[in-house]
This record gives sequence, C-alpha cells and structure tokens, in this order.
Amino acid sequence: MIEVKNLEKTYDDDGTATVALQGVSFSIDKGEFVSIVGPSGSGKSTLLHILSFLDRPTGGRYAFFDKSIDELTDKQLAVIRNKQMGFVFQAFNLLSRLTVYENVEIPLFYANIAPSQRAKHIEHAVASVGLAEKLYVEAGKLSGGQKQRVAIARALVMSPDIIFADEPTGNLDSQSGAQVMGILDDLNKNGHTIILVTHETYTAEFADRIIRIKDGRVESDEKVHKPRRTAKEFFK
Amino acid sequence: MRFRDSLKTATASFKHGKMRSFLTMLGIVIGIASVIVLMAVGQSAQDYILGQVQGIGSNLIFIIPGGTNNGRFQSPAQSQGIVITSLVQNDVDSLSREPSISAVVPLVSGQADAVYGDNDLTVTYQGTTADFFPVRNFVVAKGYPFTANDVISDNHVVVIGSDLANTLFGPNINPIGKNILLKTTSFRVVGVLGPKGTGPGGVNQDDLALVPVTVAQNQMLGITYFNMVFASANPAYDISFVKSRIQSVLERNHGITTSNKDDFTVETQQDILSILGSITSVLTLFLAAIASISLVVGGVGIMNIMLVSVIERTREIGLRKSVGATEGDIVQQFLMESVMITFVGGLIGIAAGAIVVTAAWFIISHILAIAWTFEFPLTAVFLAVGVSAGTGLVFGIYPARQAAKKNPIEALRYE
Repeated sequence: MIEVKNLEKTYDDDGTATVALQGVSFSIDKGEFVSIVGPSGSGKSTLLHILSFLDRPTGGRYAFFDKSIDELTDKQLAVIRNKQMGFVFQAFNLLSRLTVYENVEIPLFYANIAPSQRAKHIEHAVASVGLAEKLYVEAGKLSGGQKQRVAIARALVMSPDIIFADEPTGNLDSQSGAQVMGILDDLNKNGHTIILVTHETYTAEFADRIIRIKDGRVESDEKVHKPRRTAKEFFK
Repeated sequence: MRFRDSLKTATASFKHGKMRSFLTMLGIVIGIASVIVLMAVGQSAQDYILGQVQGIGSNLIFIIPGGTNNGRFQSPAQSQGIVITSLVQNDVDSLSREPSISAVVPLVSGQADAVYGDNDLTVTYQGTTADFFPVRNFVVAKGYPFTANDVISDNHVVVIGSDLANTLFGPNINPIGKNILLKTTSFRVVGVLGPKGTGPGGVNQDDLALVPVTVAQNQMLGITYFNMVFASANPAYDISFVKSRIQSVLERNHGITTSNKDDFTVETQQDILSILGSITSVLTLFLAAIASISLVVGGVGIMNIMLVSVIERTREIGLRKSVGATEGDIVQQFLMESVMITFVGGLIGIAAGAIVVTAAWFIISHILAIAWTFEFPLTAVFLAVGVSAGTGLVFGIYPARQAAKKNPIEALRYE
C-alpha cells in the first residue's frame, strides 16, 4: 500500500538548507496499525505530511497504491486525500459554529457527492464513534473527547483506505484518550490501515509496529511483540 | 465543489457574523441606493420637464429670431441680450396661407407692473393673437379669451393668470369687467386663466397677463417685430415637411438663398423634446456615475474585511485543503462569500432606494403640489444587481486567491 524509498526532505530557509528527513525507507501493508515515534524535531511530522500528500519530498520515492507522488498533480493529490485518506489532528480542527453533521459533511463537499446521498454516510460515521444523539449539536458545545470522536467520524465518512492520526490524544484527558484509542483500535480490527504519529512510546505501543525516527532517519522499525495495548491500559 | 455547497458555506459564514457582514456591505447599500435614487429622480425630472414641453400644445413648431451657426444650436437671441428683428407680420401672413399649417401665433413679451387699487405685482405680459389660447392649451376659467376682432381693433383687453387675479383682486372680487393698469395703460379684464403652474421657460404662467399683440407692439413696446412665432402643424402633414415649408417661406420672405444664412431658427416640439431628453439623460447618468464612486469605496471595504476573514480562518483553510479541497474550491468559497455580501447589500440598497424615491414622490407631488410622476426604472434595478454582484467578484478575487495559496501545513499550525 505504501512504499517509501530513500525519502528526503530538505527545507531551504533563506539560503540555509535544513534536512528534515534523509534516507527514510519502509513499506506499510493494508490493514496495519503503525506508530511513528520520535522526539520533537525528529522529522515525524514532516514524514506524516509527505505520507498524507500534504507535502512533497525533495528526494527519494514515495508510492501510494503504486502511484508515485512525483507523477501526481496537486489536484490529483487533493482527490486522493479526499477519497482515500482520513485525518485526525491533535487540535481536532473542527469548525465550532457548525453542527456535528455539518463538520462531518465537509469531505463530502469535495467528493461531489449529491446532497441527498450524504445523510447515510454521515449518520453511519457519527454512529460508529458513538455520537448519534449529538448529530445536530454545535461542535463548539462538545467536550474534548467528543470533539476528537467527531474528528474521527469526519476522517471515516469517505470510507478511506488509510487514517492518519497526529497526536490524537495530545489534548485529551485519560478517559477521553482511552475512548479515542479504543475507536482507532476497533477501526483497525475492521480493516482500516492506521498510521499514528506520537512522541509517547506508551501511546505508540497501541500499534502492531513502531517506526522510531531520530534526526530525520529511521532509527528502528519493529513489530510490537507483546500483546499490543488496549484502551483500558490508557488509564495507567 | 458544488455551487449549492459553496452557497451553503457562504450563507453560514454570513449568518455567523451578521453585524460584521452588514457593516461591511453598508458602502454597497449606500452606493446602490444613491444610484437608484438619482436614476429614478432623474427619470421623474425628465418626465416632468418633457411633460411641460408637451403641455404647451400638440404639433407645435417654434420659430425663433436668430439663426444657428452652421448647424450648431445657439441660445435664443433674447437670452443673449441681442435684439433680432427678423420675424415680422409679413412672415405671419405668409405662413398663415400655408395649407400644412393650421394656425400661426405671433408673440411679443415684456415686463410691467400690474396695478389694481392699492395692489400691484410685477408681471410678464405677452402680446399675442386669439389663436394663442387653443394652440397653447390655455383655458379661460372665468370670462372669455379676447377675440380676433379685439386684436384687429386694438382693444385694451387683458386675460390674466389665476395668481395675478388673486393678488390684485383677492378672493371676494370678480375681476371680470374690472380695469387694471399695465405699464400705465388701462386694460379691461375679460378673462381669468385656469391654473397652469410653471412653464418650460421657468415662467410662472399663473402670473401672466395676455393682451392683443397689436396693442403690445404699438402702445407698450413700440416695436413692429415679434419675439417668437408658434406654428401649429396640420395633422395631415408630416411634421418634418411642415418644418421645411416654414424654412422655405421665411427664406423666400427674407431673401435668403442658403440655409446656413438663415436669420431665424425653426424647432419642432420633437426637436426640443429630444434635446431636453438628451440633456437630462446625460445629467442623470453623470450624477449616477458620481454616486457609483461610493461603490468603489464599498468594494475596497469588502476586500479589506475579506482579507481579515482569510487570516482569521487560516486553520479552516488548512483543514479544508487537508480533506481534499483544491485551490479552485477555496477560491470559489471565498468569492461566493464576497459576492453574497455585495449581492445582499445591493438588494438592501434597492429597497432603501425605493423607499427614498417613494418618499420624494409623496413630498413633491402631495406637499409641494408639483405634477411629479413616480418612476422606478427597472433598468436601474437590473444594473444595481449586476453591479453589486460584479463588485463582489472584482474586490473578492484577491482575498480568495490569497486564501487558496495558503500552505495547508502552515495553515493547520496557525494560531
């Protein structure tokens, strides 16, 4: 599904070159739950942005379902982000003046799905995160945990092949964090590929596999041998 | 992104900041309302002025002393203080014999004090013939107009306007049969005109005093020429033909062999209506153009607020791009918001303009008692709608492009 080979990203900041990623290589198969872990400044966010087509590498190769990022136009990248990828952000990034329904509807605007067809997608996505009764509540009136669940519903509404979660529990209390990780765990069990970016090893161990990034390079890429963490363990 | 979805998004944004949206569109509201009011009032003013000219009489042709200069119209000789004596009785007699002309009415005028007892008023008096009354649509409400015989006999009779009658005689005395002094000459009042209002030349027609032309020429002005001649065209003839016949007759009488040497000017009512119509139209458009400057100011205000909105919604832009919005989708969204503000502002401006136009019509027609028509030109409405939407497009495109160019990663990090 994802094939990364000698990926490089260099930023040119007023003539000064900053290397964010160098020689990064790995592959991810459909249905995997992968954590990308590293300290602040390690390049994990840069890697996430490239994997999710929000940015382009300056060297190496990245192929998504055998399509190389270099062969795709910005518009084609946007279409793939819309139809095949879902995003969960640390800061939720909901539009607080819109209802839950309207927030989850946003990706459907850009997929050109007829308004009459949208309700069933939205209701299914919101029900799958346990918020069916909050469908017409303004997002600004929800708790942090509920907001993140709405964000997951928005990520799911297009039935994407892969979900990218960037520090999804970073702004949540333990209980809410547990709920969110539980949902991601269930989604993975239902066949969704999950890529989780975190700086916490504890959270990373919820995945099947951990890729550690340090100073822009892959330090290790290991399967989690012990039974992976469950949501209950998030309280610890 | 579907049009309906960008409309839905724009509406949500509009409703979210109603006060801000209203203040933003205020420039457009004022600009559109101003343009509507000026165009409507200009149209009504044009109707009033043209109505005044049409009310003079039908099929009228004006013969004025003094020629045009190689086709360029010159203001009448009298208004330039020049006395031109080219129109005389022989011309009136020749024109009266023309089958294409129903009536020929010569006119002289002057100013004098009208006196009765202790009351007096400075008035414009006009010396004319009996045909003046039907040709110029002057109705005698009391008494009768003077006759052709009065003119031939140099009788000292006068028909006065309703305001003049009221000033000299008051409400209780019947003016008919009474004698008044006009320029120290005594005249017997034979008729009082019905109310006419202000004429096309700005003269108050209710203060007029009409006397036989022979008396005015010989005993009051000491002249043998006329200040103006009216000709009423026979309806059986084309007005252009009648005009050319008048020119031919007068050129023959005056020994003129080339038209650009004419010492007279012949204008049909249509010519005058056309000139006046052009003048009022140009004035109206000019004023509307001045008013539309406020639309530019309003548009700049909208661009400013949209730029602020783009900055405030940077994270939203980043979110939308991350879930699949293209640059075109973002441009469409912000442009739709800009057009919505100006379009709604335009509609409010049209409504405000309609209220002002209606109020102006009520005040002018009912309180000032001027025959003012209510005009609300649909062209102005369509123009207003088009201009307001166009303003939104023109002044919204820059902020929309700025929004579209935002890097989604930086936008998502924006605080």
